[in-house]
Amino acid sequence: MNGSMTFRRNASSLNQMPTLQYESNRSDLPRRYVHHLVEEAVADYTRNVPASESEHVSFVVQSNSLSKRYGEVLAVDDLSFNIESGTITGFLGPNGAGKSTTLRMLLGLAKPTSGHATLFGKPYDQLETPALRVGAVLEATDFHPGRSGRDHLRMLSRAVGLPDARVDEVLSLVELQDAAKRRVKGYSLGMRQRLGLAAALLGDPDLLVLDEPANGLDPEGVRWLRDFLRDFASGGRTVLVSSHVLAEVAQTVDQVLIINHGRLVTESTLENLTARVGGAVRVRSSHLQQLAEALEREGILTTISDEALVAQGTTRERVGDIAFATGVPIYELVTEGSSLEEIFLDLTSEEARP
Amino acid sequence: MNQLRAELLKIRSTRTSIGLLVGLVALALLFTILTCTLSPTSQVLGEQNQISLLSFGSIAGVFAALAGIMLFTSEYRFGTIRPSVLFNPNRDSLFVSKITAGALSGLVFGVIGEGLVFSIGLIILKARSIPITMTGANMTELIVGAIIGTALWGALGVAVGAIVPNQVGAVISLLAWGFVAENLLFGFLPKIGRFLPVHASDSMMGPVQTHLLPGNVGTVVVVAWTVVLAGAGVVMLKRRDVN
Repeated sequence: MNGSMTFRRNASSLNQMPTLQYESNRSDLPRRYVHHLVEEAVADYTRNVPASESEHVSFVVQSNSLSKRYGEVLAVDDLSFNIESGTITGFLGPNGAGKSTTLRMLLGLAKPTSGHATLFGKPYDQLETPALRVGAVLEATDFHPGRSGRDHLRMLSRAVGLPDARVDEVLSLVELQDAAKRRVKGYSLGMRQRLGLAAALLGDPDLLVLDEPANGLDPEGVRWLRDFLRDFASGGRTVLVSSHVLAEVAQTVDQVLIINHGRLVTESTLENLTARVGGAVRVRSSHLQQLAEALEREGILTTISDEALVAQGTTRERVGDIAFATGVPIYELVTEGSSLEEIFLDLTSEEARP
Repeated sequence: MNQLRAELLKIRSTRTSIGLLVGLVALALLFTILTCTLSPTSQVLGEQNQISLLSFGSIAGVFAALAGIMLFTSEYRFGTIRPSVLFNPNRDSLFVSKITAGALSGLVFGVIGEGLVFSIGLIILKARSIPITMTGANMTELIVGAIIGTALWGALGVAVGAIVPNQVGAVISLLAWGFVAENLLFGFLPKIGRFLPVHASDSMMGPVQTHLLPGNVGTVVVVAWTVVLAGAGVVMLKRRDVN
């Protein structure tokens, strides 16, 4: 392991979701800050270069033409995508879209019918002690109900030679230390989700793979999870989180992979996704007219109303850059447009079937 | 070794094994006390009768096999197979650890089961002033055979669990085979039936009944069954997706 982490908690009871502050001394922290700048360039690059050349870019997750067939059903169909380190990626699609099957193939639990997947450049089962690099939670119910939470973690930690002290650390991390010796059948769904997360964190991994982690959580639990994932990724680590509800992950993820009927529908940052389907950017400034003229010179349609300017079909970055170049001060820059849920439903509707 | 430690903890950390052990102790005590106390003297005299009577500890094999089945099938039943395979994606190693843990737990079942039956049975027979006509060699073969046979049944149970991951299906299959199918085969075709796992493991304890294989041959046959079923189990584990 090449980093350490500490968490600060402020929850005082089991029923209260703990607030976590994740800190890391990972040396690749600055990568996080340049990521947004290079994201588009990398995406364009990888789409347009041969596979052998694109392999020079270090992707944490690579899916190459993954397909999985169960009898007559093609659950995953020629699915390719890459995920760079330091990002939180939402893996979205309606129920039955093939998300869970894809995650199982990434993690070596299911064999692809064709194609292959790598994590950190290797198939999961060829990583040296993969649990120390990848943490995964695939179901909130993967526990023997008659076993205590602590014993569940001890049994997993023993498999990879981790000491019991690490078990106690992760139990504290997810605020389950007081329930550690209780049998799992007495745990609430939220507690089970946190126990699953504790198991995934045992090996202090660089990549977290979570399948529908917010299922069954109350709003407080969802918020806790969101904060947790943000803190986890802020140290340059990577998260791949699946969901069938875009709004559930919209405030957490940097980018989304949307699949439907086993095929990739879109791969984008949330902002680009919004802009691409008719989104807009609302700007407040003391020089709206001057900014509107500058934007229109760049081919961006604008309207001014209620002391704000709305620029159509563009991104915050583009408007910010033009404002900066024009020397116009900006007080507010907000993405508007179709609701994310509408976009998601459009992309995954039967009519939009790939 | 790490995985074996994990598997042993899985066995210890639920009440399943304890429940099976309690069941074994209760059954062994009940049978031994009732038969040794109530059987007519003519039925407990002589070497053959005493070997048959004191071999009841081999019932531990059923409990060991059930524990072995549970060790595998509960992973599928409760979904813990997913984290288990994620933490050890080398399925050969996972299987070997499980089958070793199954054999070790079977060893414990065997020691407790045969130990109780033999020691309490002997005490009751002596209390009834019945002469013990079993030789030292008979006793050693009986005790060692029962314990090793039970350990092998622990391993066989794991193999059966790997082949039939559905818990109910695996348990019913084992009990139907052991108590019905194999006894029918042995009854009608003893020359074939004695090569089947239950009767081959019976032969490991000495001449507990007629038509059995010699003890050493029986041991080889049970080991062969264990290897064959384990081979099938590991192939199934490796081929099967973990969904």
